[in-house]
Amino acid sequence: MSYAVTITDLEWKYEHRKNFALKKVNLQIEENTFLGIVGANEHGKTSLVSAISGLIPHSYNGIYRGKVEVFGQVVQEMDALELATQVGLVFADPESQFTAMTVEEELVFGLENMGFELHEIRERLEWAAEITMIQDLLDKSPYDISGGQKQRVAIACVLAMNPPIIIMDEPTSMIDPLGKRLIFDILRKLKEAGDHTLIVIEHNVEQLAPLADQMLLVYEGNVDKIAPPREFFTDADYLNARGVVTPESTEFVQWLKAEAHVPPETPLPITLEEGIEITQQALKSRRQM
Amino acid sequence: MTTSTSSQAVQQGVRVAKARKTLLGHVPISSPFYKFHPVTRLIMFVFFGVIPLFIFVPEVNFALLLINLMLMRWGRVNLRGLRIYMPIIFTVAIFMFTVVILAPGNDPSYTPLQAGPITIYYQPVFFTFAAYWRLIAMLFGTILYFSTNRERDMLVALRTLRLPFIASYVIGLSIRSAGMFMEDFRTIREAEQARGLDTKAMRFSDQVKLYMMYLIPLFSIALRRADEISNALFARGYTLTGRVGRGGKRQDYIRSLYKIRSRDIIAIAAMALIFAATGYVQMRYGTFAIEHSPLNIWLRGQLGIPF
Repeated sequence: MSYAVTITDLEWKYEHRKNFALKKVNLQIEENTFLGIVGANEHGKTSLVSAISGLIPHSYNGIYRGKVEVFGQVVQEMDALELATQVGLVFADPESQFTAMTVEEELVFGLENMGFELHEIRERLEWAAEITMIQDLLDKSPYDISGGQKQRVAIACVLAMNPPIIIMDEPTSMIDPLGKRLIFDILRKLKEAGDHTLIVIEHNVEQLAPLADQMLLVYEGNVDKIAPPREFFTDADYLNARGVVTPESTEFVQWLKAEAHVPPETPLPITLEEGIEITQQALKSRRQM
Repeated sequence: MTTSTSSQAVQQGVRVAKARKTLLGHVPISSPFYKFHPVTRLIMFVFFGVIPLFIFVPEVNFALLLINLMLMRWGRVNLRGLRIYMPIIFTVAIFMFTVVILAPGNDPSYTPLQAGPITIYYQPVFFTFAAYWRLIAMLFGTILYFSTNRERDMLVALRTLRLPFIASYVIGLSIRSAGMFMEDFRTIREAEQARGLDTKAMRFSDQVKLYMMYLIPLFSIALRRADEISNALFARGYTLTGRVGRGGKRQDYIRSLYKIRSRDIIAIAAMALIFAATGYVQMRYGTFAIEHSPLNIWLRGQLGIPF
């Protein structure tokens, strides 16, 4: 088993802050898996992914202890170019990621930094634009498109560089429901392709949980819980107390279990479809009684 | 969109966009200018910006202004949009003529003319008149350029002229930040208006104070954006040294999309020729000196002012 990311005893405190944002974090992320990260605001989710992407400690001042490794290389010892070839980061606010005048320029900027030839740049540009459905936006200004389109452009910029690790920090936080669905469709495609290690911070657990191989709860700067989604959501009260909402279907079936409407061994659903199926079975067996 | 589909769309009542928004204004969606390489367009900008400096005959600068307007019309620029420049055109005129009337300088060769209660001097006023038209010709050359070129075109042109990537990128970021600064300013104003602030009812001094207060949030936003851009550049593998992955040379994909064609070479050669000829005749014979202005000659004749 090979690990894309290994974090050992990581501690991080931002300059001029009283408390450590990350406290003795230990984590291993398997290569080509999907890790969903949840947690309340200001508990260290973004700091954690910033440490993986190298923004911490390269772009922020503070106290850094411990070690973060990406495919065995120590992040602290890698420069921007080395890191960008290994880790792609989609920011929560896509606009903050834009530095160019057109979407097309935005996409090729990273590829030019990575030293690709023109024909390779063209191929990757077309591929990333197709997968994120932004072909008709290439000629537009990235500031003159909708929130959902901006987010897809931000994802395309990272995809074009094709790093083995892709991190998305709340990619659907600023967009409408249809836009959210498109983003999760892209994530689904990436997961099915199985060529990337995906790390996604997201509050929308309904959509995130079915895709994730592992769910991780960050609470007060610690990795509080990490488990496969079904196991992760078994204790809704625990998660709720830490600011995480469980999927409604999971919560509903947990209630059915508590009320003895379904057998205790019934697995918890993480999708709406699974929840409906379990409920239908419960209703059926009730009618037969 | 082709012309036929465009007209079909119009017939069906669909609004077809004619202009594309840029950070600094609008450019037409399609224009004959786009057939030229961005570097040709940049040279045209320099041409129309510099050539009035050789010309002190107001009639010629006025003709240059008309040429600029004709080029804008040919380039499908929305001429109605030029109204926004009217305040600056009139403000400059008022400022320049007020200064020259109130403070004409002290030269015994000046010819005084009595205009009601005030005395004006012919030579400095006509000099200002000539300088004004030179300025306006240059202004319209600039408007023509920014009405037919996107920021991307400017950067491609600069990189074609071998400006280092980092320098063109800094220029691009500066243009971007200027646009963002204006956007942020508008957002802050709208937020204030939404909370009931009526600037029209305020005294001028209070308005000035208010504008000063805008600087605080605007600068803090600008600083935050600078931080974000720095992080974005880092995340995309940009190094300050300009080092490129694979140890190779940085490719310029966007520039590779543009080709210099024969029409560009002809246009550049024509501009260079006109520029050189204008410069030569002016420096050698003073052809475009203020003394050769037909209006100047006629006015002096009418007013009996010798050269």
